[in-house]
Amino acid sequence: MKHAAKIGALFAAMTVGFAGAAVADESANVIRNGTIGYVLTDYHWALYQTKDGKAECPQGFNDGPREQFKILFPADDGKKRTLLETQLARESQIWHPDLKPEIFTFKEAQGKTGLGMNLDGKVGPNDFTSPDGSEKGIDNQLYRVIGCVANYRGPDGTLYHFNNKFMQQHEYARVLIELTGVDSLVNDNDVTLTTYRGRDGLLTDATGNSFMPGGTQRADHKWGKEFISRFKGKIVDGVLTVQAAEYHQPTTWAFEDVTDQWFKDPRFQLKINQDRAEGMLAGYVDIENFYLQMARAVSTHHQSYGQQSSPSIYRALHKLADAYPDKDGHNTAISFAADVKFVQTFIEHPAVETAAKEADTRPARH
Amino acid sequence: MRNLGKLVGFVAGLSLAAGGAYAAEKRLMEDYVKSPMPPGFQVIVTELEGPVFADAKGKTLYKWPIKSIRNGDVGEQKNKPTCDDTVYKVNAGLMSPYPGGFTLPEVETRPSCLQVWPAVYATAEDKPVGKWTIVDRKDGKKQWAYDGFALYTSVLDEVPGDTRGGTRRKEGGDSPAYREPVSPAPAVPAQFGVYSVAKGRFLATSIGYSVYTYDKDTATKSACTGSCLNEWAPMLAAENAVALGDWAVIERSPGVKQWTYRKKPLYTRIADEKFRSYEGGDIPGWHNVFTQTEPAAPKGFTVQDTRAGQVLADKNGRTLYIYNCGDDAIDELACDNPNSPQAYRFAICGGGDPDVCNKTFPYVIAEAGAKSENRAWTPVDINPKTGKFAKPGEAGALHVWAYRGRPVYLFGNDKKPGDVSGDAWGEFNGHRNGFKAFWLRDDFRTNAG
Repeated sequence: MKHAAKIGALFAAMTVGFAGAAVADESANVIRNGTIGYVLTDYHWALYQTKDGKAECPQGFNDGPREQFKILFPADDGKKRTLLETQLARESQIWHPDLKPEIFTFKEAQGKTGLGMNLDGKVGPNDFTSPDGSEKGIDNQLYRVIGCVANYRGPDGTLYHFNNKFMQQHEYARVLIELTGVDSLVNDNDVTLTTYRGRDGLLTDATGNSFMPGGTQRADHKWGKEFISRFKGKIVDGVLTVQAAEYHQPTTWAFEDVTDQWFKDPRFQLKINQDRAEGMLAGYVDIENFYLQMARAVSTHHQSYGQQSSPSIYRALHKLADAYPDKDGHNTAISFAADVKFVQTFIEHPAVETAAKEADTRPARH
Repeated sequence: MRNLGKLVGFVAGLSLAAGGAYAAEKRLMEDYVKSPMPPGFQVIVTELEGPVFADAKGKTLYKWPIKSIRNGDVGEQKNKPTCDDTVYKVNAGLMSPYPGGFTLPEVETRPSCLQVWPAVYATAEDKPVGKWTIVDRKDGKKQWAYDGFALYTSVLDEVPGDTRGGTRRKEGGDSPAYREPVSPAPAVPAQFGVYSVAKGRFLATSIGYSVYTYDKDTATKSACTGSCLNEWAPMLAAENAVALGDWAVIERSPGVKQWTYRKKPLYTRIADEKFRSYEGGDIPGWHNVFTQTEPAAPKGFTVQDTRAGQVLADKNGRTLYIYNCGDDAIDELACDNPNSPQAYRFAICGGGDPDVCNKTFPYVIAEAGAKSENRAWTPVDINPKTGKFAKPGEAGALHVWAYRGRPVYLFGNDKKPGDVSGDAWGEFNGHRNGFKAFWLRDDFRTNAG
């Protein structure tokens, strides 16, 4: 807010691939009391993919539960097996993973090209360089873990599609960002971004497939307190950059899970205008949280759609984790980046968010 | 709205429970539409499921509707009972990605479907009555059916009014093809419906929107007028609607009638977007409506707020969990109770090790001498090494709380009240062989019904 407003500047740079760009002075319509809100409409892990995948996955893609099961328990070897030593043993591995040597070949994404942000300000031997070479030292080791798992690869991977679809569909995973202290959407050296969980559906156009600015979302102050985080940062030439210490993002999938992802040292880098905010969320994700969110939300059946083996991914997460060492020196978090898109929305904060009337100590007649 | 039964007292016979430890609760129970039944059958208003049909001994009747699961259909079509005396030895491969043909746990003692679900046989003299019909079984016997579905009882039900064999609550995706209690229609006007949810039998509109009552109303007059009507819509009654049982009609203004239930005018909330919402009930003075509520949880249990709604918790605020399990044989027998094989649960909560299991999902210990007011909640003795019911006086047995005859659990990694980190833990998001939090309210998904 210390920075003088530069409302007169145009977002010329934002017009490329950024539908709905408008002259900046129209933003006054949606910036109210220095505040503008957006709602998440698209979320995908940032994976660098070549057309045939051979550059980043020269050995091909990984095997999944179905393929691994066939290797472990061949149907044609004439052996009679029990459910306990087959199916239940594999499910045990998912819910009680270990760090024993991987018995299958896990194919990590290869190469030096990747997407994301330089989180630690260093250029390390395992870091990536952006495809255009403009940014070095990119930290995105999660890409090495899931980049050659078909389920995560766009546009056909089941998780790639349905993670986003269910986020759009279910209010549980509605993510709002509210910028306050905004003098200008072009340059402002002191803004605050606060995340909330929203409680309403997304506003679509008549086709139902495109999300429109101008909707309204109620911020969830009753059940969604753990999803409220404050980021500090600035806007430079229409690019918002903000950072926080920690952020819990609500996630859900098809079958009633109400999970979250726990990000450490997260930062948003978003090109913003009065209608949209698009760019990247990056930081470190707690590896145990990442693993269990995946296992709880996506069943073995659904993981099989795209050769996604939880036990193998667990070992790779521990091998490639690159931050937040525990007392024994083992890293507990892994760098990541996600492509994100938001549209503008008006965020309502209910005057009185009624807590559940029933006190915790009431007799538990339910 | 014809043939409304009067409000009935709670099921008789609870005092027959083992040890006579259970006293019948005095509370309002759901009314139902009375219709002709064949001799030997009755309706019992149960504490968990409301009115259900029962046999002459008071055993609840169940059906097994067909359900499509991942690799095929299980359950029964109308007029085609399939539950028989076959003892299945291997899994059927119904649940992707795992194939069939593997020997089932505890196969030496695995019962047949009929041993667990005794068929309700008809005699040569029996005659169909209304929806009650008689179907032919493949073994040549005759079996009673209701609305076409063959009828069974459950070996898990011990006293009249028990519904431990199954529930009418909507189960989550990829859950087994559960058996359901068979019931008469609830006695509600056509504009209304009753839904089984975690908190009881929930009164709503016929398509599922919540109905509410208002503290300032009386039995004969609505206080919701003027601006109140911007937020609340009276449940209007037809000109010829008449009072019957719990239901009555008031005239809001000349010619405009409104339904009342148990002496309270009913409304919907205009802002409600979701079916069976509790949001209106959060507004001071307004309440959701139940035809009957769930039986009380054990003394000291608490209700905790979570990231999505509310859960039942222990006295320390730690979330309770329910274990769900149906096996993968063609008859889909339950594996979620201590009488059934524990290998499924041990695999999920302990990697096969009961000791690890008891740390990951520990039992909820009941104090010595703990008693329950109802049959929904009972203290039971469990051998923690086997997961089975302990013998009387067995060394090392744990005295734990059970719901519907199945132990409830905590999750070892929940750190504080309201944590639900063990929810959806297990095969198919905890619905198939795994754990779900004891949801009472879920404002976002359908975990609470």
